[in-house]
Amino acid sequence: MVEPERVLGIPEVDRPLWTALPPGWLAILAGHSGTGAPLLAKQFAHAGVGIVPVLFYTTYERTEVVQKAFRDFGWDPTDVKIVNLADEYYERVLIRGLDVARAREVGLTLDQIVAEPPVTNNLATFSLTNRMLSDLAAIDSPFRLVIDSIDFFFEALTPADVATVARQIRHRCQTVGGQALIAVHSTHRDRGTFGLQDLADLVFELTAEPNGGRYEHTLYLEKVANHPDLTHIWRAQTGEDGWHVEERSEPAG
Amino acid sequence: MESPREATPVPPAADARVLLSSPTVLERCATGIEGLDNIVGGGIPRGNMVLVAGSVGTGKTTLCLEFLVRGAERGERSLFVSVTESSQKLIQNLSTFEFFRTDLIDQGSLVFVDLPVVYDRLGLGHEELTAEEIDIVIRTIRDLVRSLGIRRLVLDSLTSVCYRIRRDEQIRDFMLRLGQELSAVGCTSLLVSEIGPTPGRYSLHGVEEAIVDGVLLLWNTRRLGDIVRVLQVVKMRGTSHSRAQYVIELTPIGILMAPHLKGGRETGGQ
Repeated sequence: MVEPERVLGIPEVDRPLWTALPPGWLAILAGHSGTGAPLLAKQFAHAGVGIVPVLFYTTYERTEVVQKAFRDFGWDPTDVKIVNLADEYYERVLIRGLDVARAREVGLTLDQIVAEPPVTNNLATFSLTNRMLSDLAAIDSPFRLVIDSIDFFFEALTPADVATVARQIRHRCQTVGGQALIAVHSTHRDRGTFGLQDLADLVFELTAEPNGGRYEHTLYLEKVANHPDLTHIWRAQTGEDGWHVEERSEPAG
Repeated sequence: MESPREATPVPPAADARVLLSSPTVLERCATGIEGLDNIVGGGIPRGNMVLVAGSVGTGKTTLCLEFLVRGAERGERSLFVSVTESSQKLIQNLSTFEFFRTDLIDQGSLVFVDLPVVYDRLGLGHEELTAEEIDIVIRTIRDLVRSLGIRRLVLDSLTSVCYRIRRDEQIRDFMLRLGQELSAVGCTSLLVSEIGPTPGRYSLHGVEEAIVDGVLLLWNTRRLGDIVRVLQVVKMRGTSHSRAQYVIELTPIGILMAPHLKGGRETGGQ
């Protein structure tokens, strides 16, 4: 079981949440590009290191970039299993799409048709859903999992399939005492088509608003399941070891 | 026997009487199956598209393969487009026929292509083809025919292709365009149509036989306790032909045909 002070890895946020959360839970982290949500997702992953196995699914960053980001903030990525879904998807689907597009445009020669070995229809056989769920099914003890971000799933799956993935993650969390954070761009979150917020026990949002010559970041805790009293808004800023928060001196706009 | 092309030029001032009295002699593509060529006046008119319709086990594929082998032997490069069976397996089965020569494959005179592989390469693995995707399939076959100089083509089966083209008008368009493309390069084609043993139908959708230039119908029937295969030329444009029924036998040296005698008790259908 994860230590009480480790939810996001920010003590001011984590402390009041711990007693309110069930053993297994799912969090949503919403944030437009440029708000720093990816860093907060990594901080969440780091908060589980040394306590439970940590899985970090990246869908748009190279694995080396993720590892560097960890190191930049003093977090050792060694014990974080980074799974690069974007690379897998590219190698098994998108690169094949390029071949298909070329074949459709310029045609096929006999040599290409009878070439060995025959290509397999990866478009039909690679399922992002199965890929995720097979990993989940193999987990039978507490874990920490990050998907950064679910937007990639929306590009490849129907909203219903995305919801299925989220439900399975949540169910796995509840079954074995896992904690998962799914990052989502606000653009997808705003659609409200898949009910991710309804599934989540926690909903965070990170925003960035220009203020003078700099951006001011705000962290919203918009939902705590069964504890609306614990929702909160903090001013947020990054330091050498990741995100920190402090109380706002004025109401959020 | 194949007749040389003897196209009769039409004089500029020709009137209807002249046209009527000057029949064009069509170039024939001899199937190499002697009995069949005799029925259709020496062969299928060059560039025509013919439906070979029949239920399972009636000899459609064998007839088509012999058509290609005989063509390849005459120096006409031939292409078998297989949809339902891997060409590797087909070739294995063909090896039981003496008329089949693997050297024709080795020298490139007889070419086998698996359409599922083409579908795969073109990303057409899904269930239903769109109009654009149908166009891609036609272009791919056309390009193969052109680039390889194909003179004879078999599509086995048209029915399997049409399963993925849902609307009748799209099937009609597919066949019209395919026929035009093949005819334009003088490629004679046989399209296999899988039908049930119900009389009166030659294709799955019923539109196929209207588009093609000819229909060869094959069926099984019982005669004196045996099941025999029967062939009938139902339609062959540009050809005055008999519509008599012929018993066919698939022998190691090829298909043999004999008149279907009416004696004896006959049961079964197409």
